[in-house]
Amino acid sequence: MQPKLNRRSFLASAVAGASLSGWLARLAAGAPDGPRPKSCILLWMAGGPSHIDTFDPKPEAPADIRGEFSAIETSISGIRISEHFPRFAKLMQHAAILRGMSTLESDHKLATYNLHTGYRNRGGVVAYPSLGAIVANELGKHDVALPNFVTIGHGPTEALSAGFLGPDNQPLAVNDPIRGLDFDAPTAAPKQFDRQIALLDEFEDSFRDIYHSAAGEAHRSSIDRAVRLMNAQQKQAFDLSREPQNIRDMYGPRSRVAVRPIGGKMAGAGERAGSFGQGCLMARRLVEAGVPFVEVTMGDGVGWDTHRDNFPRTRALSLECDIAMSALVTDLKERGLLDTTLVVWTGEFGRTPQCTGGGRNHWSRAWSSVMIGGGIKGGQIVGRTDRDGAEVVDRPISVPDFLATICTILGIDYKRKNHPPGINRPIPIVDTSKPVNVMTQLL
Amino acid sequence: MAAVPDASETAGLIDQQIEARLAKENVSPAELADDAEFLRRVYLDLHGVVPTHEQARRFLADSRQDKRARLVEELVASPRYGEHLADIWQHELISPLADDRQKRSDIFRKFLADEFNNKTWDQIASRLLTASGRMEQNPAVIYLIEGRLPRSVPDLTDLTSRYFLGLRLSCAQCHDHPFANWKQQDFWGMAAFFAQIQTPKRAKQVYEKGVIDDRNITLATLRDAAKPDGFMLCSPKFLGGPELSEGRTNGRAALASWMTAPDNPYFARAAVNRAWWRLFGRGIVNPVDDMDEANPPTHPQLLDLLAQRFIESGFDLKYLTRAIILSRAYQRTSRPDGGSDAQMAHFGRMSIKVLSAGQLYDSLETIFGPPAKVSGIDARAGARAEFIQFFGDTADIDPIAYRRGIPHLLRQMNSGQFGGKGTDALVSRVMTSGSSPDAIASELFLTILSRQPTPEELDRIKAYVKHCDSPQSGWREVAWVLMMTSEFSLNH
Repeated sequence: MQPKLNRRSFLASAVAGASLSGWLARLAAGAPDGPRPKSCILLWMAGGPSHIDTFDPKPEAPADIRGEFSAIETSISGIRISEHFPRFAKLMQHAAILRGMSTLESDHKLATYNLHTGYRNRGGVVAYPSLGAIVANELGKHDVALPNFVTIGHGPTEALSAGFLGPDNQPLAVNDPIRGLDFDAPTAAPKQFDRQIALLDEFEDSFRDIYHSAAGEAHRSSIDRAVRLMNAQQKQAFDLSREPQNIRDMYGPRSRVAVRPIGGKMAGAGERAGSFGQGCLMARRLVEAGVPFVEVTMGDGVGWDTHRDNFPRTRALSLECDIAMSALVTDLKERGLLDTTLVVWTGEFGRTPQCTGGGRNHWSRAWSSVMIGGGIKGGQIVGRTDRDGAEVVDRPISVPDFLATICTILGIDYKRKNHPPGINRPIPIVDTSKPVNVMTQLL
Repeated sequence: MAAVPDASETAGLIDQQIEARLAKENVSPAELADDAEFLRRVYLDLHGVVPTHEQARRFLADSRQDKRARLVEELVASPRYGEHLADIWQHELISPLADDRQKRSDIFRKFLADEFNNKTWDQIASRLLTASGRMEQNPAVIYLIEGRLPRSVPDLTDLTSRYFLGLRLSCAQCHDHPFANWKQQDFWGMAAFFAQIQTPKRAKQVYEKGVIDDRNITLATLRDAAKPDGFMLCSPKFLGGPELSEGRTNGRAALASWMTAPDNPYFARAAVNRAWWRLFGRGIVNPVDDMDEANPPTHPQLLDLLAQRFIESGFDLKYLTRAIILSRAYQRTSRPDGGSDAQMAHFGRMSIKVLSAGQLYDSLETIFGPPAKVSGIDARAGARAEFIQFFGDTADIDPIAYRRGIPHLLRQMNSGQFGGKGTDALVSRVMTSGSSPDAIASELFLTILSRQPTPEELDRIKAYVKHCDSPQSGWREVAWVLMMTSEFSLNH
């Protein structure tokens, strides 16, 4: 419990400018910190991208399955992906494409919940934590100013809860990366804010003396952490204006790009098309500052859900995604962070092999995810689908397999059990009794 | 109903039970809460909002002996009583997995508010369980649907057993329950009552035709019957009772009439435990929906007594609420004053609950008027819905657990919704010309914390304001500080 609210002067720290922070700062100071803990950036492709039109092209399939895109060679001979990921194709040596994803939910919300928590939402009593909260709980530090779990863009809120892992692991949401962190500075002048916090501290002291309330202490501790973040230099990680122009441009356009299909909903209010790339840039800054888990959403729940206009929409989304994720991987690589940062590209499911009315529908039996960096063996394909991309014929990957693999890459024991309050049985991080065989191929 | 004893008599019996147990444990109870503590608590518990400054002033100035009882009567009779219960229950009973959640939530909340204001618990439960049709015509069906489909039979079994019977049967879905007596047959015997709900061939049927029964469907012929985990073929069977005689009637209607019969062993106890849990922050059985033999009540006779009285009242939730609130147990302070944990564990003092997102929003509205619009949030769904989505944790229903972290506190401190322009209006009101600093401080405390400042607080605040740039800005700063206190965020 915090004895006192943090009173480090807002004025003093708000003008400090150095950009070294988090782990890098400790490294620079020669702190004996051991190996850098791993981080994870989840690129969440909301809506469910077509596997056939992205990372599992089917040039041999009939035209109504093959679709309009052609496959291109990558930096690894024999591995081919969609023509609309030309930049990423050159980075294939760092990536493993998981073509055997085979999952059970084909409704957006149920599948999204399942992919994030590893459990199926059946209205039960257990509030399962999202992957980011699991990683925050396992790898996060709780004596630092930055939160351990950050989401960028309009993510799937109902699947992003810390659940029974509690308030320390709740995600901090950045709705618009271009605008940056919301509510991170007081509306009052710094001097006034300090004065108010000092008065609040007195009220909190006397409340504690009278009530001895655990809830009161938790409230006070959350205020304290929030004030620390407001005062911390590290919050510059949320400020993209500190990034050089050429780096910002490398991640993609900051203005609206022409992805709006005829009659379709693409970007919802509050989301700017093109902001995904800037979100990836913010993710890199956060990882650099020591945040263990960042989730960047592309699509606002509609994006890749191409029941109509599949080809124009998937093309536009792919190109935007290609620029952003290629920039991210390149940038992480150049900064020496790629080996310790696992980048995961996934949606909640794939899309039907058959095109109907220019669209593809939900398909969870066979689809693809991509993992990059994090110390995995890159340049490979794991799993295989049949000619039409309809069924997995080699190495199927279930949701528990997928999450157990991510945990293992990050150094988390996925079999460890949590003991949620009010539940009289232990809950494993990932509930799987089967060996997870894709792991040996990745590590 | 003439036969029903007076709520205050039941309150007396509650206290006999609680105090006998405290004496047996050699623990003395805490003192009764003062008027201000009681006032704020009972407003938050029954109306989901802090009292207005006028309401607070009136109550604190009232010198009648029976003013607490009068206030409880007034609060229970107000439409706001049902609206608050509806707010709580729609959150529990509605599936979060629907594209049109906001629309559903609005319809369902309005429906439930009417029900809680005018109907008894057996009537409400029956309506929800037996509903059919479209949600626009019969909002009760919202309990039975999820997304675009009816809820699955195992889900309905789990929800119904937890919320209406206080039992977690779902462990028995796949295997006999390891601790309790439930066998797989118990789960699937209950599940079989829900089997007649048609699973539509087209996903939009729930919107177009709503929930429809087909008497010919059984668990055996259920579409996707092979799919649910642990599926077991059973005939409809009442929990701990006989099988339903075949084909006699609509399955859900039969289940509802069994459940709401006065001799049902679970229904009344579950409602009593849940009401107690909500008002005291902790149930007589915990977790609140796990009232299994293997998980005994801390006060078995109290639970029996209240269940009996609740049945005699005709399952009248208002009666139950009045009886509990009129007890000394509910009216005790939450200040420990050196009291032990045992004092708390045996309901010898009140626990401290955390304001829900809804209570927080509605209290802001009471204090400042409609909360200010802020940039940086996505309020497509409406300001209150967005706020509740942000501050509420669907994951958590424990009334005493504080679950807000950095994101929430950043918004609380810096968004302007807990201060900003609203504070300007508040401060101008309390600073009406000629008011002394004492009068201003009193009005500010009464508005935000529903109490008067202590003499020490008064001195401190006055000194603080003197150091500020102007009295206006000083009082604004003080208002902000009061809004950030634990005292404001908690229901103590």
